[in-house]
Amino acid sequence: MSTQNLVETHNLTKEYGKVRCVDSVNMRVAPGAVYGFLGPNGAGKSTTLKMILGLAKPTAGDITLFGTPVNEKNRIGLLKQTGSLIESPSYYGHLTGEENLQIIQTLKGCSEKDIDKVLKIVRLDEARKKLVNHYSLGMKQRLGLAAALLGFPKLLILDEPTNGLDPAGIQEMRNLIRSLPEAYGMTILVSSHLLSEIDQMADHVGIIRKGELVYQDSLESLHAHAREQIALRVSHTAIAADLLRQNGMEVSQEEDYLLLPMLDDKQVAALCRQLISQNVSLYRIEKREKSLEDIFLSLTGKESSL
Amino acid sequence: MKSSFRKAVRAERLKLKRSPVWLAFIALPMISAFFGTFNYLNNIEILKSEWFSLWTQHSLFLCYFFMPALIGTYCSYLWRLEHTRHNWNSFLTSPLPFPALYFGKLAQAVFMAVLGNLWIFFLYYICGKLSGLNSPFPKDAASWFLFGTIGAVAVCCVQLFFSLVIRSFAVPIGIAMAGGILGLWVTNKGMGLCYPYSLYSIGMRANNPNLELDIGAHLVNSAGYIVLFAALSVLYLRRHEISAN
Repeated sequence: MSTQNLVETHNLTKEYGKVRCVDSVNMRVAPGAVYGFLGPNGAGKSTTLKMILGLAKPTAGDITLFGTPVNEKNRIGLLKQTGSLIESPSYYGHLTGEENLQIIQTLKGCSEKDIDKVLKIVRLDEARKKLVNHYSLGMKQRLGLAAALLGFPKLLILDEPTNGLDPAGIQEMRNLIRSLPEAYGMTILVSSHLLSEIDQMADHVGIIRKGELVYQDSLESLHAHAREQIALRVSHTAIAADLLRQNGMEVSQEEDYLLLPMLDDKQVAALCRQLISQNVSLYRIEKREKSLEDIFLSLTGKESSL
Repeated sequence: MKSSFRKAVRAERLKLKRSPVWLAFIALPMISAFFGTFNYLNNIEILKSEWFSLWTQHSLFLCYFFMPALIGTYCSYLWRLEHTRHNWNSFLTSPLPFPALYFGKLAQAVFMAVLGNLWIFFLYYICGKLSGLNSPFPKDAASWFLFGTIGAVAVCCVQLFFSLVIRSFAVPIGIAMAGGILGLWVTNKGMGLCYPYSLYSIGMRANNPNLELDIGAHLVNSAGYIVLFAALSVLYLRRHEISAN
């Protein structure tokens, strides 16, 4: 497998009028990854994905897919290798699910047999002859995914694919997305505003906040941030902080508390003795656990999205 | 490139399945033919030129009022398919060149305009026979059909452009109706060959079967409008951006 990133953006920026929706985003999606693009609603996820697909023009910066720059000249070649489901699913309601897929299959120039395959994958084979106007929102979403899967492209770009699905449907969609890289050698770029969702299906994560990519790494690394800490409340915070730093300890302050990396019992006892010997009174010693949600909130500054 | 055009045309044809818009192309010319024939038979004492007189009665309302509105409706419907249900996303991510995507739409509009025109001439022939016209069917009708159809293609290109850039279904149809009616005035002022909606009615020799058509001017101007509005539409598709919801 090539180590070259399948998707790369360089200082990708989009402004609508004076509003900067996407601000110097440098995204890196490795081949075979399920890259979770996470951020609150309105953070710039859809706009970024649209620029990658050529549906919106960047104000600044550039994009490469499969190592090829995204531009007018390369547009068709790149779109042939890409499947996408952006915002809500696209469909012609007066046609059946199968007829909708025939249109995409014709345009993509892929095999007619693919229609049967993708209908089975998304479990719509029994509803193939039904008009899409009579589909539930979840079925339309699955049809949208089926359309994106037609031709089994190397790259799949899915924007909030679990929107409108019931809990069972969400679970099914997550499992399906997670299985695609291994089953069909696809790379998935999937956006969501739900951390739990990305946590369950992605192996890499990019977190966007107000148009800026504030975090990008493997999900494992994000979990590593979710570590335990020791919190101290003392009579003289500044003196205590200096003292601890002199001892080579990593100290940060959060309101009245000093936050230290996790220590064992003996280390805590020694620390207490030292502080007391310097006439610093100890009011509280607490063990704190920073959850993935806390990290997400601290990165995005949004509580409403969880 | 050729296969891209074929794919686009086939995809557009699939989209039009179960779309009853074409019924208007059947119904409106029938209404026009019925009233035209009725009028002809009621004024047969003063309308003495047989087939030519019948054509004046058939073609006036049809060419200036009905046909531009029909083409406008059909073009609006063709783009409405993409204006609704987030279909721009899938339309513009189709791996086809923009000219092919546009040509797919144009081919459907032109196909209906040609069929509509054939239907108009078929109704003209039937109504003439039912009205008891025994003289031979005018050979000039071939020229009316040919240049009328060329003018209709120009109207298709103009209307496809308006329906592409205006999301509303009704507004472009209003433009087509106004364009057709205004064509009557423009043609009377002698400027019809410069005005796209009149290219159709002049080509059809609407209300004036004896008109000596300036074929060169008609062809050049029709081609000019076709190329201009097709180019504007492709340019629009190329520049079109899907903004965030």
